[in-house]
Amino acid sequence: MENRITQINSSLYDQCIADYEVRSSLFAAEAPEVGAARAKAIGHFKQLGFPSTKVEDWKYTNLVPVLKENFELEQDEDILSVKDAVIAKSKIDLLDCYHIVLVNGKYRADLSDAVNVEGVYLSSITDAAARPAFKQHFGRYIDLEKFHFAAANTALFRNGLFIEVKRNTVVEKPLHLIHITTADAPTYFQPRQLFVLGTSASISIIESYGTDTNGAPVFINHVAEIVVQENAQMQHFYIQAGDQHARYVHHTEVYQQANSLYNNYKASFPGTSLWRNNLNVALDGENVESHLYGLYLAGGQQIVDNHTIVDHRKPHCNSNELYKGVMKDDSAGVFNGKIFVRKDAQKTNAFQQNNNMILGKKAVVDSKPQLEIFADDVKCSHGSTMGQFNPDALFYLKSRGIGEEKARALLIHAFAYDVTEKIPIPEVQSHINALIEQGLK
Amino acid sequence: MSTDLDILKDVSTEEYKYGFTTNIEMDFAPKGLNEDTIRFISAKKNEPDWLLEWRLKAFRHFEKMEWPTWQNFEMPKMDLQGISYYAAPRKKAKLNSLDEVDPELLATFEKLGIPLTEQKMLAGVAVDAVFDSVSVVTTFKGKLKEMGVIFCSFGEAVQEYPDLVKKYLGTVVPHTDNIFAALNAAVFSDGSFVYIPKGVRCPMELSTYFRINAENTGQFERTLIVADDDSYVSYLEGCTAPMRDENQLHAAVVELITLENAEIKYSTVQNWYPGDKDGVGGIYNFVTKRGICKGVNSKISWTQVETGSAITWKYPSVILRGDNSTGEFYSVALTKNKQIADTGTKMYHIGKNTRSRIISKGISAGHGQNSYRGLVQVGSGADNARNFTQCDSLLIGDECGAHTFPYIESKNSSAMVEHEATTSKIGEDQIFYLNQRGIDTEKAVALIVNGYAKEVLNQLPMEFAVEAQKLLAISLEGSVG
Repeated sequence: MENRITQINSSLYDQCIADYEVRSSLFAAEAPEVGAARAKAIGHFKQLGFPSTKVEDWKYTNLVPVLKENFELEQDEDILSVKDAVIAKSKIDLLDCYHIVLVNGKYRADLSDAVNVEGVYLSSITDAAARPAFKQHFGRYIDLEKFHFAAANTALFRNGLFIEVKRNTVVEKPLHLIHITTADAPTYFQPRQLFVLGTSASISIIESYGTDTNGAPVFINHVAEIVVQENAQMQHFYIQAGDQHARYVHHTEVYQQANSLYNNYKASFPGTSLWRNNLNVALDGENVESHLYGLYLAGGQQIVDNHTIVDHRKPHCNSNELYKGVMKDDSAGVFNGKIFVRKDAQKTNAFQQNNNMILGKKAVVDSKPQLEIFADDVKCSHGSTMGQFNPDALFYLKSRGIGEEKARALLIHAFAYDVTEKIPIPEVQSHINALIEQGLK
Repeated sequence: MSTDLDILKDVSTEEYKYGFTTNIEMDFAPKGLNEDTIRFISAKKNEPDWLLEWRLKAFRHFEKMEWPTWQNFEMPKMDLQGISYYAAPRKKAKLNSLDEVDPELLATFEKLGIPLTEQKMLAGVAVDAVFDSVSVVTTFKGKLKEMGVIFCSFGEAVQEYPDLVKKYLGTVVPHTDNIFAALNAAVFSDGSFVYIPKGVRCPMELSTYFRINAENTGQFERTLIVADDDSYVSYLEGCTAPMRDENQLHAAVVELITLENAEIKYSTVQNWYPGDKDGVGGIYNFVTKRGICKGVNSKISWTQVETGSAITWKYPSVILRGDNSTGEFYSVALTKNKQIADTGTKMYHIGKNTRSRIISKGISAGHGQNSYRGLVQVGSGADNARNFTQCDSLLIGDECGAHTFPYIESKNSSAMVEHEATTSKIGEDQIFYLNQRGIDTEKAVALIVNGYAKEVLNQLPMEFAVEAQKLLAISLEGSVG
């Protein structure tokens, strides 16, 4: 630990370092790509530690209270039973999809639907070790020198999911991944995912999160890598609702090749006490398109922290980002969006917008949209606003006989509509609208 | 009050400060930075004890500070021990006539339309022009004095108005603020002091441009402007013609204070030597500028046109403490060749109903790197705070960069904050349109850039605006086609 000021001292750090030593003999049995990634990652994590607010990217989110909760590292577990009700809670009404259940990051075939589509391979990361697509892409895209939690996860993850959609495979029905975290004592989990979409493949993946902990706090450091190869298309949905016992640091690293499309729709709701999302998209090919839509409705003492990076590396790409937040009660919202346009990435169009509605008297919003542009023939813009209910709009509605509360709900729905209307699956859209309704109560 | 004769004497000794004559050589502080240097400066300036103590305190703090690392450029290596802190080293000897001046520089003057005497002065030719200007200074001084306005060098203020200086010095930019502010507090050589008494509307634009002793005031100047209740002042600073200089650190501090209903308008046109085409030489312009709207209904407005310096690194800020106070920031920053600008503003909303407006226009050409970094902070007590920020970047050429780092922090649910930023290049159709009408590409670009920067240039007093416009055009020369 070189620089104490940028790190938080915690027993969890010491546990992580010790755990690596203890398990290093087991790592030798893994795929060499995984072992090499772990070795590199632990080196970075030793340097980085858990970030304090002195680290620019963690300026607004203080992890000290989280790390004080004496989390223990997850251990290898037998097959745990999970209440049906917990899984059912995450399911989306009327949606025809494959349900994939993961418990503490572990893929549970016994609780999941079988995905009988030719060209789709789905397994735990351990079982995927020999697959060429896994070996080619695992651990390749995250800059571990910069991301503290991704480094810890890469070094120490135990369980994970691997999905490969082979060349020209179009998966008609969406996959719905339901992540369940269960524990009896304060526990720190580090699940991992790798999705690889082959050339011209197409898939929609929905992810939801649930906890079953009998009141014990859990801290989940989730890392997902996504590779979208040429011409491939992916629609990706995060539905982040959960209870206040969970704290999430969630890293998604997307790597896109030429002519590909990646759309991310993220909605988070009151409950989970911390959501820290890192969503990084690298547009590393021509004619790539990416859309990032986010909606965060925060309440109570919740902290919702969204960090995104859109990295334009090649010419003729388009990216569009829209994050909208509604902050109730004493909640805190953080938005940091970075757009990089590299020197060669001429003819880039990149847009980014962050709008916040502050409702709670003590709610706090910190927004930092950021552009770094090294090419001249580009169109880039960003915008950020913070405001409240428009009194004129409220008056208009009230004068037409709509009660105060209903009028406010209506205006929030209208505010969120810019994001929700973008959701291409109607069942998911109405599910999210219902969650907004519920979150406003 | 100083008589004309005193001023003449003042000015002539000031001249010597940078001189080459032997009898003044002892006025140079030995190179290096230590407590002795500070005592030397303080003694030379005949300062009271409290000021020496203040300097020493700042220096002791400075020693404990580290260089910042968060900036968006590589920090140049600076040897602070290699500088003489009392008389800035100027390698170039004074020239005897305009014939000896670099013709390129003369051509620039020509385009700027600077009168001959001023040209000589700015190029460092030792001429009588100095005395002309002194008379200008004195006429103005008389008129200002009548109204009770104090406008003098910092050194003079320390001697003649120690109470005012003591009351306000370092209250807006404390020496603990940042490493350059600490350095400045320790070694500042001179600067300007302005005090506008209650109810006075300063009848003319105050400008360092006329103040000869400010022309070559060392790299560490300090400006303190206090506008008492119901007063108004517009202050201009800057060098509107190129200065040929070594790679020098310029770490000034500017503090503005407005009391009830007062307003300060502070304009800068900065065109220090930017270094040559390969980025050799040029000024490091690391300046701390901050104003505080202390009283209710007060207003501070910063306008800056930054076309010079190898590195420009400053964030003129406003602390909006009084209720209903207003802060404004208008900026045009142009970087070309290897120039770097990391500039922007900070608006701290503390009082109720405070408003701020930020308009920043960045232009990057050649290998220039231009960053806007801004903070808009709304405190929990700042009910109904309102901010509007617009920062646009224009890119000319594919080797340059434009960056935006806005920080927007709100702790109040009644705040309305808007930020927008765009980045684009000059439209080919716009240039084509002008080409079609017989305007060559270079002129067309200048025209478009001027149009782009208009919103900011309009904020400048008229004479300055005209010069700034020409400056932009000149700075862009050679960066197109």
